[in-house]
Amino acid sequence: MSKEVIKLHDVKRYFLMGEYIVKALDGISLSIKAGEFTAIMGPSGSGKSTLMNLIGCLDTPTEGLIEIDGDETLGMSEGALAYIRNQKVGFVFQQFNLLGKINALENVMTPLLYAGMGARERKEKAKMALERVGLGDRMRHRPNELSGGQKQRVAIARALVNNPSILLADEPTGALDTHTGLQIMELFDELNAEGRTVVVVTHDHDVASLAKRQIRVRDGRLEE
Amino acid sequence: MIWENIKLAFKAMSASKMRSLLSLLGIVIGVASVIAILTLGESATNSITQTIVESGLEMVTIFPVRSEKASNEFTEDFGNRLMRNVADIKTVLPVNSSTALIRMEQKSINATVSGVLSNYAEILNYTPEQGAFFTMSDNLANRQVVVLGSSVAEELFPGGDALGKYISIFRNQAKSYQVVGVMSSKDPSFNLQFNSAVYIPYNTYSQRFIKPTIVGSYVVRVADGADALKVSDDITSYLDSSIGSDAYRLFSPASLADMAQQITSTFSSFLAAIAAISLLVGGIGIMNIMLVSVAERTREIGVRKAMGASPWTIMGQFITEAIVLTITGGLIGIGLGTLLSWFVADLVGWSLYISYSSFIFAAGFSTLVGVFFGWYPAMKASKLDPIEALNYE
Repeated sequence: MSKEVIKLHDVKRYFLMGEYIVKALDGISLSIKAGEFTAIMGPSGSGKSTLMNLIGCLDTPTEGLIEIDGDETLGMSEGALAYIRNQKVGFVFQQFNLLGKINALENVMTPLLYAGMGARERKEKAKMALERVGLGDRMRHRPNELSGGQKQRVAIARALVNNPSILLADEPTGALDTHTGLQIMELFDELNAEGRTVVVVTHDHDVASLAKRQIRVRDGRLEE
Repeated sequence: MIWENIKLAFKAMSASKMRSLLSLLGIVIGVASVIAILTLGESATNSITQTIVESGLEMVTIFPVRSEKASNEFTEDFGNRLMRNVADIKTVLPVNSSTALIRMEQKSINATVSGVLSNYAEILNYTPEQGAFFTMSDNLANRQVVVLGSSVAEELFPGGDALGKYISIFRNQAKSYQVVGVMSSKDPSFNLQFNSAVYIPYNTYSQRFIKPTIVGSYVVRVADGADALKVSDDITSYLDSSIGSDAYRLFSPASLADMAQQITSTFSSFLAAIAAISLLVGGIGIMNIMLVSVAERTREIGVRKAMGASPWTIMGQFITEAIVLTITGGLIGIGLGTLLSWFVADLVGWSLYISYSSFIFAAGFSTLVGVFFGWYPAMKASKLDPIEALNYE
């Protein structure tokens, strides 16, 4: 039995919108084991992105406990959360979110910089990550010189480079055509086959069907 | 990390060159004016001091003020007493002077007649052009010999044939003096007008002229290598305690040079302080542009945070950017300020004195401005919520 890398216990996330309290997540308990490939599905506004932000430690819950790879995040400082984001989670976004002024290699090197790694080692690891996603020949290109699929591959290389225990992707195919989107999903599948825990947030059934486990979110609650 | 931040800062700066340049302008102008003022102030001080030094920094002149007390103290023996009580004095020369009519055949002029000792010329680096200064035996024997200042000689002997001639000096009655020397021209030093004076032996003056009740003045020559300013201060305190401050006046090029230096440096510090205010204004410009930069790059900050940048890392990145901006401005300002000083000094004719300490001051101050005015924007960046930043359009 492999260990649980993500554990949520009765997690609530409320937002104050003017005078109303919006219950984006209203009591979610969930656990994901190491090596799982999970799709989190749900219509827009269901709270799936909020869930992903909480798992990725970009946000903190109003109530409830979150454990990431054995670390309880309750009461953690901003710096400690940053450390978790750096070491244990790799993010892939719908809009790629690459830094536009630096090339692909430098983009992939950035998380390693925050990990405090030396320049030579950063470059070496970043090259390996880019080669892994099939972009060994595009390292010196800036994001605006790359296609959508290539950008997302750079983003995946960046998410992988620090060897995190969890790979989190929020609508990773949302900005891509069907064919390219499929290729990206195949890449996630391969990475999962190598033993990585992958969590993909999507509203696309075809995309979700590639995952081994599907979790549905509706009105801030799970319906598995 | 710091090195990476510096690289990032230069990237950000070159990404919007015009904007960076304009926001730098305040710092550039501020630093340039501080540098120019300090450098020109220093150059002015130095050229003034130089002028004073050339006129004889190693001399201190004491003028007794006529009074009963003074006449008891300022005697011929005063020099020896002074040398016993104040260190670092090479010699003290008593000088008696008065104005008298001098005649050579049909020509007559008014000139200062000074009764001095035979080593007077040598001590003051005053050299004869023809003949020689009178000797110690001339003085001891009360000989009626005279040495002419250059302009007196020119006027009385346009042909330059003064040596060996006799001139008459009137004081109550005419006396005849033989010219034994003509001095070369020497620039006036404060109260001493060399060229329009004639010199006769001290004892001759006392005997043939008028017997002075009090010595006219004492020229004190400071020992070689001694601090003239300190000696002049020591003399002042000795005289104040032994005779009284109202019994004499003291002239010292060293103390004048010191005073001039103090005035110019106070003045230039004051101006530099005003110029430094423009540095603050420049700093506000930096803060403004950094706030714009943080707002524009909100999404970038979100991405960096998602990748694990801690608040301190983000803070460091933006503070570094502000410092790189201000230091760049500071360096350009130092260059411009030096160029401007060089130009002005050349125009006025001062020799340029580059004040390296002002470079360090300007560089340090612009760093400080960067830290101070970069702090708030950087803190704002570091406190951004990652999700809000990522969703920022």
